[in-house]
Amino acid sequence: MLAGALDSLLRPGLPVRIPDAVYVEATRVHDAPGAEQIVEWINAHLDHVQIVPTDIGIDQQRRIEEGRAIRGLGELAAVEVLERFLRTESTAEALLLFEDSDIEKRRAIVDERVSLISTGDFLRELEAAGLIQSADYVLDQAAVQGRNVERQRRAAEDPAMRQRLREQLASTRPTVSGQDGA
Amino acid sequence: MTDRERFQLIQQYAAGQITWHELRERGFSDYVEVLGALGEAGLRPPVARMDGPNVEARRRGRALVREALRERR
Repeated sequence: MLAGALDSLLRPGLPVRIPDAVYVEATRVHDAPGAEQIVEWINAHLDHVQIVPTDIGIDQQRRIEEGRAIRGLGELAAVEVLERFLRTESTAEALLLFEDSDIEKRRAIVDERVSLISTGDFLRELEAAGLIQSADYVLDQAAVQGRNVERQRRAAEDPAMRQRLREQLASTRPTVSGQDGA
Repeated sequence: MTDRERFQLIQQYAAGQITWHELRERGFSDYVEVLGALGEAGLRPPVARMDGPNVEARRRGRALVREALRERR
């Protein structure tokens, strides 16, 4: 869910747990605007929102340090958090927020104490309760913000691109000066 | 993955023809990248139909959220 709509997660008044690997996936480029908003949002709601450490998260850190892929680790971390929760809280229930296309087509192997909800389902409930004007609008905004974050990420993660731009700027400056002087 | 392939994949995803899981297998590294590609294409994330293998768990989830929202009023 996009950073600007994170407050909607708190509307039902349920505690929110974010697996560490999911948090890292969403915030790994520190200067990206979405990342900053997520960090600020979590810090502003520490009484309701917690980052949960996992073994998968440790593996993710190691992979990042070694420059290896971290694809799919957020989902595995969520499974780890859920399994630990069900093992240690014998009567508690959990609600797992799931991506829409996957929830429709992939079977989620879950305990009866675990309910599922997709981002779309969640927004539709907020819309029906009159808490947001339009689920579609929120989803549109998510895509727009995702585009902005992704552009900044690409620039931040591609040192070669940055270097090429610097070189191009450096090489064009004397030419411009020369033209000015001519 | 070429830009054209990437665009075609994201169109299929927005139309509900392929899943986020499939996008990941075909080169998208995380969901922010997917949102970024959707934004570039002027598309929005798909919303699941109430169908498929998880319908009962989803109905429970929606009821739980509805009830929690009602209690908060």
